[in-house]
Amino acid sequence: MLERLIDHDAAPLRVMVQGATGRAARKHIARMTAAGTNIVAGVSPSAAPGDTVDGLPMFATPAEAVAATSADASLLMVPPLSVLPAARAALDAGVGLIVTVTEGMPVRDAMHLLHATRAAGATWIGASSPGLAVPGRCKLGFLPDVALSPGPLAIWSKSGTLSYETGLRLVGAGFGQTAWIGVGGDPVKGTRFADLVPAFRDHAPTRAVVVVGEIGGTEEEDLAEALLATPIGKPVYAILAGAAAPEGKTMGHAGAIVSGGKGSLASKIAALEGAGVSVFRSLAPMVETITADMKETKP
Amino acid sequence: MTGFVVWNTSVYNWILSLPRRGSRTILILEHDAKTLLAKRGLPVPEGALYAVAAPVAPDFPAPWVLKAQVPVGGRGKAGGIVFIPDRAALAATAHRLSTLRIKGFPVEEIRIEAAVSDAREIYLGLVIDAATGRVSLLASATGGVEIEAEAGTGIHQFSARPEAVEMTAALDDLAAALPSDVAAAVRAAGEIAVAAFLDLDATLLELNPIFLKGDGSWIAGDVRLDLDENALPRQPEFAALLDARPHAYAEAVFKRDHGFDLVIVDPEGEIGLVTTGAGLSMQLIDEMSRRGLRPYNFCDIRSGMMRGSPDRLIATLRQLCTAPRLRCVLVNIFAGITDLGEFADLLLAARAAVPELQVPMVVRMVGNGQERAEAILGAAEGLELIPDLDRAVTRIAALCDA
Repeated sequence: MLERLIDHDAAPLRVMVQGATGRAARKHIARMTAAGTNIVAGVSPSAAPGDTVDGLPMFATPAEAVAATSADASLLMVPPLSVLPAARAALDAGVGLIVTVTEGMPVRDAMHLLHATRAAGATWIGASSPGLAVPGRCKLGFLPDVALSPGPLAIWSKSGTLSYETGLRLVGAGFGQTAWIGVGGDPVKGTRFADLVPAFRDHAPTRAVVVVGEIGGTEEEDLAEALLATPIGKPVYAILAGAAAPEGKTMGHAGAIVSGGKGSLASKIAALEGAGVSVFRSLAPMVETITADMKETKP
Repeated sequence: MTGFVVWNTSVYNWILSLPRRGSRTILILEHDAKTLLAKRGLPVPEGALYAVAAPVAPDFPAPWVLKAQVPVGGRGKAGGIVFIPDRAALAATAHRLSTLRIKGFPVEEIRIEAAVSDAREIYLGLVIDAATGRVSLLASATGGVEIEAEAGTGIHQFSARPEAVEMTAALDDLAAALPSDVAAAVRAAGEIAVAAFLDLDATLLELNPIFLKGDGSWIAGDVRLDLDENALPRQPEFAALLDARPHAYAEAVFKRDHGFDLVIVDPEGEIGLVTTGAGLSMQLIDEMSRRGLRPYNFCDIRSGMMRGSPDRLIATLRQLCTAPRLRCVLVNIFAGITDLGEFADLLLAARAAVPELQVPMVVRMVGNGQERAEAILGAAEGLELIPDLDRAVTRIAALCDA
């Protein structure tokens, strides 16, 4: 599904929005539509047959929405404790991509949803993804339009706001994005940095990858391992937040044993640099380096 | 307001609660963890909680162990767990504990517990493995504070999806890998631990050590329990604990009551931050610290979730007023959800509600509704609009130098 999402020649995703009736959701549906997203249905449990919201056909369940509109992706804008049941309903209806933008989903629910999406052969971006975008083609979630522009870079980010600042400065320097995937800052999540490597390795329009990471978790280290196992064939840059933070997260002895000493900023920098990634702790030098490198390798 | 979290130990103590943004885990103090687990059938030594300043001899017989109640691991190695033979040593020992700072945390409460002797120590741990979305169950026939040295050799580990049936099967595998005398205790303690882990939405539960006596009986010497803050709305016991002991869980209570994060990182700091987004706020503090500037607070005000109310901004500005060395305030909002026009109105309302905030304010905003926001704030006094973050920080540096 990721491959299709970022392939400009593929059929555009047919998107339904679960929780489409809230004030914020309606505002964002308008922005997403303006960004080119093919939104075909809204889902709200109280919808009656024939209902529309701002011209969008509404359905009471994902199954009805999929049956009527052939939606193949779903954006969930629902409260934290509703994410798991709503996402399960979407999977049962057969969608192949689920994007959740809710902050506050319980970890145990995230674990269940991770296993459910894998069993269904689907892709889940979240729990608290700020969204994803293929500029000029589609946007699902909250990524700010001012930072979105078609271009040669892929942005993969844990943090929302830090990636906005990163994207904005790179666009200011003349470098927009092929795709921008906000994987979210959650410990248990649907798609991790390492999961993105295969789709972008074979993606010719992407000339370089910018990773926006931060302390905590082992995602950066796992990405480094994936890059070492199968090189991505293009430069990878990373900005890591939390430079002045104390080392190590205390997750008890069990956490220390399971994570094998990973998770600190030092461990992330060592792993990423060992995999050939250019690591930065400050935005300005990263933007300068990318600008210089991109000019040098202009196709 | 229930009071902001001030850990004046070092910048970034707030980050100890990583992994944060999407989900945060709250360490439950040993006494409270034992109370929660004992209700679920876990045998624990008799014990009671006291203010360290006013310890009383408990009504169960000595010898006792005095245990500092601080929200970090490694208490024992830091001198926070002390054995005393009788009540003669109580006052002096408690006083000594009261002077400790354990990984930055002052000792305010102690649990006095019946000491357990003549027992071997075994280890049992359950923890979420974020990378796989599974729960790892770990056990060792040799427990105690040096347990991590056993990694790779003495520790057995199995994993399961977060469901009782699968976790119980993993527990069976774990028990089968251990010597038979240890296996029975791990099996029995594990059954209680698995049920509690799921029931309480735990992210970590360790029984270390489990004291195993020669007669096969066992008792949990220490309990480490971390709960998922996101599950609070469906966890009445967790909620009741925060209500009963708000001073012990100030950060979680603040987040629950105010809906956002504000943590004082440097009580002597000169720069007040009104920022949204944990990642960018953290990066901003990084950049400022690197330039020798002193931010006072970390703030993720969640500007997209203010629902038209200036309350969060008022609470934040009031807190900034209490910073003794405050020189200026930086507002940085670059958000996907926030309507900046609405935010600008709320910022002016908050400033009007907190007139005692007299220092200059630098505002940087990017996003939806930016033009209207600039029109609204452009007319306000004592406030500078700077659209570029680096330039805004440079201006802040100049204000601190002035």
